Amino acid sequence: MSSTNEFAAVFEREEPPEGKLKVSFGPQHPGSGQFRIILTIDGDIVEEAVPDPGFVHRGVEKMCEYKTYIQNIPHIERPVIHDSSGVLFAYALAVERLLGMSEKIPERAQYIRVIMAELNRIVSHEYFLAILGIFLGHSTAFTWCMGDREALIDAAGALTGARVTFSYLVPGGVRTDTPPGFEEKLLKACDYIESRIPVYKQMMFDSPFMKMRMEGVGVIGRQEAIDHGLAGPTLRASGVDSDVRKDEPYSLYDTLDFAVPVRKEGDIMSRLLLHMDEMEQSIGIIRQAVRRMRPGPVKLPLRGQVRGAVGDAYARTEAARGVNSYYIISDGQIHPYRVRINTPSGRNLAIMARLLTGARVADVPILHWSLDYWPLEADR
Amino acid sequence: MKPTTFARGFLVATWAGAKHLLRRRMTLMYPHVENYPTQQMYAYDPKKNVAVSGWRGRHYLDMDKCTGCQLCFIACENISEAIEMIPLPETDYPQNKKKIFPSVDYGRCVFCGFCVDACPFYALYMTPNDELSETERNDLYYSPAELSKPPPLFPAPRVNMKLDLKRGAHDER
Repeated sequence: MSSTNEFAAVFEREEPPEGKLKVSFGPQHPGSGQFRIILTIDGDIVEEAVPDPGFVHRGVEKMCEYKTYIQNIPHIERPVIHDSSGVLFAYALAVERLLGMSEKIPERAQYIRVIMAELNRIVSHEYFLAILGIFLGHSTAFTWCMGDREALIDAAGALTGARVTFSYLVPGGVRTDTPPGFEEKLLKACDYIESRIPVYKQMMFDSPFMKMRMEGVGVIGRQEAIDHGLAGPTLRASGVDSDVRKDEPYSLYDTLDFAVPVRKEGDIMSRLLLHMDEMEQSIGIIRQAVRRMRPGPVKLPLRGQVRGAVGDAYARTEAARGVNSYYIISDGQIHPYRVRINTPSGRNLAIMARLLTGARVADVPILHWSLDYWPLEADR
Repeated sequence: MKPTTFARGFLVATWAGAKHLLRRRMTLMYPHVENYPTQQMYAYDPKKNVAVSGWRGRHYLDMDKCTGCQLCFIACENISEAIEMIPLPETDYPQNKKKIFPSVDYGRCVFCGFCVDACPFYALYMTPNDELSETERNDLYYSPAELSKPPPLFPAPRVNMKLDLKRGAHDER
């Protein structure tokens, strides 16, 4: 389905049957994000959909083999810039397991990591809501979500020194200690986002027009979601209670008190509401972490080049879009021998062809975006 | 959907938006006012092995401390290849026997700051100035002399984002 040859075969097939039309959705569509779907449509109904990813393949896995463990950091986060701490968390944990120092990470560093991961989850979910608003023709949602996202980016910028490409989580801890006044700024931003969530719900989910567009559209059943191997909010919106933070707790997540929101309907509306629920939970986690943080060191001293021991390491975290995992093999050099990256977006692509078949053309953008599929992350 | 539910939902959604007409807005007239999360310089403390929070913008090179050790160049080597060591034979700094200093090509730099983390002599910093747009690509190349100039003063007043739970986010003047 996803190979270029198959795409060519579909595209070069004879003319579509009488009365049908072949449409290439993307790759330059402002929302599809360098990704295209070849649709065969009959009137307003999609008869066949062939997703065609691979336009933004950068060879991240191969490039990792030529860079040192620290040089990989700015480069690994680039495909998923609005969830940069979420993806770096898994990488940092994998490198620490490889070096055998995962038990020695200072507690303060772990709390800051949790804060940054949850902050990035909220930022990424706000971005999700904003773009979905655009696809629904709801520009107000776009401007509000993008504007409110600035509150958290502002707090994170004071800590890390960048707006989205933080490069902040490194093997051994985090790069900087918190500047004075950071906690107040962060908590204020959390209060602000929390006060905005009911407003989003009023604006987007009470509106009868939005309900008509989203309720009962793109339903994924529970068993179907499991069979296709979906991940993250898409999976949880179909009634599967699966979250790496609870199932295999890493870092300090087993000491923090939070719930995993699950919804049963499996349609676009439930996926959206699930993002809101997760934002509320993340705000709770940030507040707990800020309250429990004590002064102390934030980084282990790593002298000279990081040189991995001979062996392999695997780490799995719950990034904003779902399960994100890194598998690193080292042969004792200053750079890894092999890095395998498994991203949630690649998994969610599996159901796209099924979901689009039989849908209306106007629903294609929202169905595509509601799956949490980010082409840059999936192609890597 | 019942007509009453429809009407109620429609009114709630419209009212949620209409309330914002009365709120103050966070709209900045950009070249005249600017918003930065922080105005600190990003620096690194090699003794404590930890960096100091600050905005990662244009670099600042302290030529009185740079020894020409090339560690910043090595750190940048596989990330963006922006740093290049160039010889300055006319200079006379006693600590820099090789007489080589880093130059940065901002057409390539990704502002990750790992060059600052690599410097063991407190010679390299990053300043909050990130307004580096030029009309010529060659102008983005900063020589050591340009990097060692102190960061420019900003003529525009700087504002912070103020978050008010009742009145919304707006700029603080």
